[in-house]
Amino acid sequence: MTGEAGGSLPKILVVDDETAIQRFLKTALDNGEYAVHQAENGHAALAAAVSLRPDVVLLDLGLPDLDGVEVIRRIREWSQVPIIVISVREREDEKVRALDAGADDYLTKPFGIGELMARIKVALRRSLQQVPDPVLQIGALCVDLPRRRVTVDGVEVQLTPTEYDLLRLLASHAGKVLTHSQILKQIWGTAYVEQPHVLRVNISNLRRKVEPDPSRPRWIVTEPGVGYRLKDEE
Amino acid sequence: MSDNPRAYLSPGLAARPAVGGLAGYFGALATVAAATGLCELARPYLSPVNMVMPYLLAVVLVAVRLGRRPAVVAALFSVVDFDFFFVPPRFSFTIADKEFLITFFALFVVGVVISTLVAQLQERAEALRLRELRTASLYNLTRELAAAVDRPALTAALVKNAEATLAARVAVFLPVEERLEVAASSRDLPLGTADFDVALWCFRSRRTAGRGTESFSSSRLVFIPLKALAATLGVLAIEVADAEREPEEMNRLLDSYATQVAQALERIRLSREAQQAQIHKARESLERALLNSVSHDLRTPLATITGVLTTVLEEGERLGEGARRELLETARGEADRLNRFVGNLLDMTRLESGGVALNLEPCDVQDLVGCALAAVEKQTAGRQVDVRVPVDLPLVPMDLVLMIQVLVNLLDNAFKHSPEGCPVAIAAERAGGSLVITVSDCGPGVPEADLGRIFDKFYRIPVPEGAGGTGLGLSICKGIVEAHGGEIRARNGAAGGLEVSVSLPVREA
Repeated sequence: MTGEAGGSLPKILVVDDETAIQRFLKTALDNGEYAVHQAENGHAALAAAVSLRPDVVLLDLGLPDLDGVEVIRRIREWSQVPIIVISVREREDEKVRALDAGADDYLTKPFGIGELMARIKVALRRSLQQVPDPVLQIGALCVDLPRRRVTVDGVEVQLTPTEYDLLRLLASHAGKVLTHSQILKQIWGTAYVEQPHVLRVNISNLRRKVEPDPSRPRWIVTEPGVGYRLKDEE
Repeated sequence: MSDNPRAYLSPGLAARPAVGGLAGYFGALATVAAATGLCELARPYLSPVNMVMPYLLAVVLVAVRLGRRPAVVAALFSVVDFDFFFVPPRFSFTIADKEFLITFFALFVVGVVISTLVAQLQERAEALRLRELRTASLYNLTRELAAAVDRPALTAALVKNAEATLAARVAVFLPVEERLEVAASSRDLPLGTADFDVALWCFRSRRTAGRGTESFSSSRLVFIPLKALAATLGVLAIEVADAEREPEEMNRLLDSYATQVAQALERIRLSREAQQAQIHKARESLERALLNSVSHDLRTPLATITGVLTTVLEEGERLGEGARRELLETARGEADRLNRFVGNLLDMTRLESGGVALNLEPCDVQDLVGCALAAVEKQTAGRQVDVRVPVDLPLVPMDLVLMIQVLVNLLDNAFKHSPEGCPVAIAAERAGGSLVITVSDCGPGVPEADLGRIFDKFYRIPVPEGAGGTGLGLSICKGIVEAHGGEIRARNGAAGGLEVSVSLPVREA
């Protein structure tokens, strides 16, 4: 792909006010696979999002002019571009705020470049391929949406309707973290947002049915204090 | 000084049969009449001279029971009655035998002398009793003040004591930033601005003021400065009910009272200063330890990272691919360590400043264990972890993120302090109203004497080179577990190795 024009490469907008981080990401990502563009503050990011139409946005939450969450909200008003939050903020409620505002994923600094690449790939796949694959195969776990069938190692697993809905929701966002309130709203309705134990019980039952070792889940991963994620590859 | 002096005298202090006024005199007359009756009955058997005896007895009785003046009256009427009823000729004041004049005189004088002696004796006994009561009250005060550990307790004890044993109403003024404030006072003691002015004067001049003194003598209260060696610690204002009786004695008592209170206040001030000095010292040494630890733990990984980076930058050409990779791996490991340490420091700071709001939610214990294991995955590569978590455990309310941190720190410790080839176990079980999670290793354990200290900040047991921790991990665990209302304990296992168990209250909905 190296010989191709930059225009056909997926465009990544990196929004961060730290020069060192910018340099590191530019060097690491600008390897012929992606075209990297930079913005150093919230307003520049919003302008670049309009003029550049990036395929993925990497966004630091601690910007000098605008709160990162505000940037997410404004972009979401008109665009569904995948946004990956990269932030040193370790507090879970910050992550939840960003995700609920419409961010697709987050990575806490410091992170390894391998992890970032993986998240970017997931995001790109989702944004480029509009219709998700109706049959999801993750290792031994297979979720067949049209036939409402779940198998592990080819053996069908019996799920309650709620458990199936839960797995379907996670599977249709495979690789992406869903917050507790996002899941609760989608499956049980807004009234249940304050009752996370319903979710915990169902996740726990679901794991018992599909995971080989429920205390070391391979597919249904807990993001502590944030939500759950179905791994999309092993 | 009060309409009814006995109203707030405690029973112990009430003056004895001071039957006042007319009643005493009527009593005297009645007693004399009774003596007359007795003599009348005995008249057939007694010569008139011997009838003096019942009258003397009557005078003595009156002196003892009713006091000195009624006794004098009784003596007088005894003479009159004796003369009128019994000295011949009877029923007239005429005296046949002039010798009876001597008898009259003797009866009267002896009666007066006896009554005076008896009354004096009684007054002395009364004074003694009063003094004894006051001494006892002082003793009580000393004891109660000694038991007080802080100023509110002390002033409260003082007020209670003064009300009970002195029958007095008191107020204690203590200085608060240039002003005097009432630290404690009797409930029914009204204090006006004038009282505050007198108190302030007394506080500044270090001299007694108020009633019975040279300054502000119109006040109802006596204001006594509470003097320590150099400073005035406050002012004691006191309104004593029976100050009229033995004022000298009362003044001495109040002085001793004030001295006792001042000493107790001084003692509390000094002990608080000593305590603060100790806290200050402890904090200083902790800060020193923190600084040492921080500079050591931050610099060590940085030194490695800098070393690796400069080597790769400057000598990169000459290094083989394998060597360069190994160097970079080392640097990455150190960067991870640095990151963990900074995380621990932040957690510790947040816990200590009380800035951790627990986000309690019913959590699945399996999920907790799973997340903790996932977080230590990098370190566990090649290590065996035995997991025993029963499937029927209830959901337990906890802050999942913080509890994961606890297990991660415990597992981290277990890996660090046990040899490569031996497994680390993590087990959860329900014990009564608690969930108990135990992390055990097969390392050398911790000397019994140190078991209680391993949760202290910056405590480190000697470990093999390279396994050094921050000494913060376990104290963070303790902070988090205790914030949950749980307990964390360490003991050496039966087969050696350290067992750390965390118990959390289950509180099922």
